[in-house]
Amino acid sequence: MNRLAKKIVPHIILTVFSLIILMPLVWIVRVSLTDKLTAYKIPPEIGTLGLNNYVDIFERFPFVTWFANSFIIAIVSTAIALPLATAMAYSFARLNTGGALLRLGVLASQMLPPIILVLPLFGVFLFVGLTQSRVSLIVAHLSISLPFLSWMLVSFFEGDMARLEEAARVDGASRWQAFLLVAVPVAAPGILAAGLLGFILSWNEFLFVLVLSGPGTQTLPVGLASLETHAGVEIAPLAAATVVSLLPVFALLPFLRKHLIKGLSLGALK
Amino acid sequence: MASITLDKITKVYPNDVTAVNGVSLDIRDGEFMILLGPSGCGKSTTLRMIAGLEAISSGDMLIGGRRVNDVDPADRDIAIVFQNYALYPHMTVAKNLAFGLKLRHVPASEIETRINRVAALLGIEPLLGRKPSQLSGGQRQRVALGRALVREPQAFLLDEPLSNLDATLRSSMRTELIKLHHTLGTTIVHVTHDQVEAMTMGERICIMKDGDIVQVGEPMEVYRNPANTFVASFLATPPMNLLPGRIESVGAGALVVAMDGVALPVPTAFQAAYASHSGKPVIVGLRPEDFHLAAGDAARTAPIDLVTITTEVLGPEVILVANLASGAGPEIHARMPRDFRAKIGQPLTLHFDLAEIQLFDPETTRVLPRPAHP
Ligand SMILES: Nc1ncnc2c1ncn2[C@@H]1O[C@H](COP(=O)(O)OP(=O)(O)OP(=O)(O)O)[C@@H](O)[C@H]1O
Ligand SMILES: [Mg+2]
Repeated sequence: MNRLAKKIVPHIILTVFSLIILMPLVWIVRVSLTDKLTAYKIPPEIGTLGLNNYVDIFERFPFVTWFANSFIIAIVSTAIALPLATAMAYSFARLNTGGALLRLGVLASQMLPPIILVLPLFGVFLFVGLTQSRVSLIVAHLSISLPFLSWMLVSFFEGDMARLEEAARVDGASRWQAFLLVAVPVAAPGILAAGLLGFILSWNEFLFVLVLSGPGTQTLPVGLASLETHAGVEIAPLAAATVVSLLPVFALLPFLRKHLIKGLSLGALK
Repeated sequence: MASITLDKITKVYPNDVTAVNGVSLDIRDGEFMILLGPSGCGKSTTLRMIAGLEAISSGDMLIGGRRVNDVDPADRDIAIVFQNYALYPHMTVAKNLAFGLKLRHVPASEIETRINRVAALLGIEPLLGRKPSQLSGGQRQRVALGRALVREPQAFLLDEPLSNLDATLRSSMRTELIKLHHTLGTTIVHVTHDQVEAMTMGERICIMKDGDIVQVGEPMEVYRNPANTFVASFLATPPMNLLPGRIESVGAGALVVAMDGVALPVPTAFQAAYASHSGKPVIVGLRPEDFHLAAGDAARTAPIDLVTITTEVLGPEVILVANLASGAGPEIHARMPRDFRAKIGQPLTLHFDLAEIQLFDPETTRVLPRPAHP
């Protein structure tokens, strides 16, 4: 009896939690398949289901552009951030570059509310003539992901990693070879997890894009927000667009689960 | 193969810890040298300076006669085995072994020949396709050793490679390392704080304390003639008994070592050496092995009256823990035959082999020099 309860109780709790988390998602999927009038009916009414909204978003809104912008900016900013963050983390961990002060300084930049950073950044881009460009958005997202990812990666190069590298050095490797042939491959799960996280950070980022983007360079989060017009909220297409914008994150989920958990919880050498 | 010479080597870490303090040591070509000492005495630091993993603060390091202070570890042609093995976790055992050879552009066919030879030597052929995470501690240890062996380096540096193994495995690996050294004849520097390893494996032992070398010598030499009370109390279990005493003259130039209620006549061979200390306090060093149940030749042994505190029956032998009959002074340990028994509080008389006595200066803790054993 007791053992049965021990098995059942956690499942009940987890089911309730899952439902609470899943409810909005299910709701959005439902709304994306109905029309505006049915969407607001309480109690919920199924009505006639259809894919009209999915067609709609491609016809009435520059959805493809938003999606492409999001994708390009997330991929490029992550591709730039990842090697830099890896090198930064390595030099923090193994060479103690800049001491504790620099490490804290990097973290401190992330403690400021982003809104404080947005306007100066806008000023900088205005000065160099990059406002409304994708480049400015990539740089802005780098300012978020670089500190975050480098902090996340520091622990992978600490501790026993030093012994491995020393073994490689005595085996005949130069510092670079020890870094590239031993340190990086051993930290690979962590680096991959950091990359996935960097992609998601950029994919979901709203504030910087809102202020810094122009008509042709908006990303999904900002584009979706523009569906809330003064003429009312286009709730049904908004829901359809949200569903589509979630797809890449869902596609990354299996990798995330595998590598993020391995990368974050176990460390490099276990 | 190469000799390794340390000339007044000092290491000061950035936090101002002086880990090694002006150490000079000549390791001969092909020698099996042991670095022995308590935790924190600077053994690993010394080894890491030989490997080039730690910068040398001052002094000269020579490998095969070449000054290597500023030579990169990759170019020193030595191999090191770490205590935690430090196998590359993302490579198979075969790739771990091949890594150093590939970096040195050894041809693939030669790499394969060498890996197979070393794998056969260490019995790790079935493991070549596995990752380090799929190996037991003993297997990892072998692979780490194999990774050093395939390189055929000038010297092997071993930093407590056996300390993570269980007792049985440790003793078989000990034998195997001795055999390997015999076969290869390569210089080995082996760091340990296990004195059984030190006594059984090394051709010479270098004993360190607080960043200094206290004594260097062959195992039996260090055992029989410890340079000071530290070495005397560090080597062997139980270690040498150290008791307060004094040298006294008993007419006609004859000397005795007097302790609480005991007078040990100084053998004629040592009289001249100890004469200048007549009337001064000394620390008397008596090895537990040199106490005997039966009296020998009257000139060679002297009786010591003891009171039993306890006995430790170990199987092959019995360790008697006792006090001098007067009840004063530190505990005395004596190694007795396996069928020896004594009750707690039981008085008994043992006979000490006087030729094995060592005296130390209480102020400097150094041994008072005397002629070698008669
Ligand atoms: N990287 C370092 N930075 C500062 N001090 C260090 C460093 N490595 C070692 N030390 C200090 O130097 C001294 C010697 O250390 P070392 O590791 O050489 O000792 P050891 O003889 O190998 O000891 P053990 O038997 O515990 O391995 C110790 O006091 C230690 O705290
Ligand atoms: Mg050590």
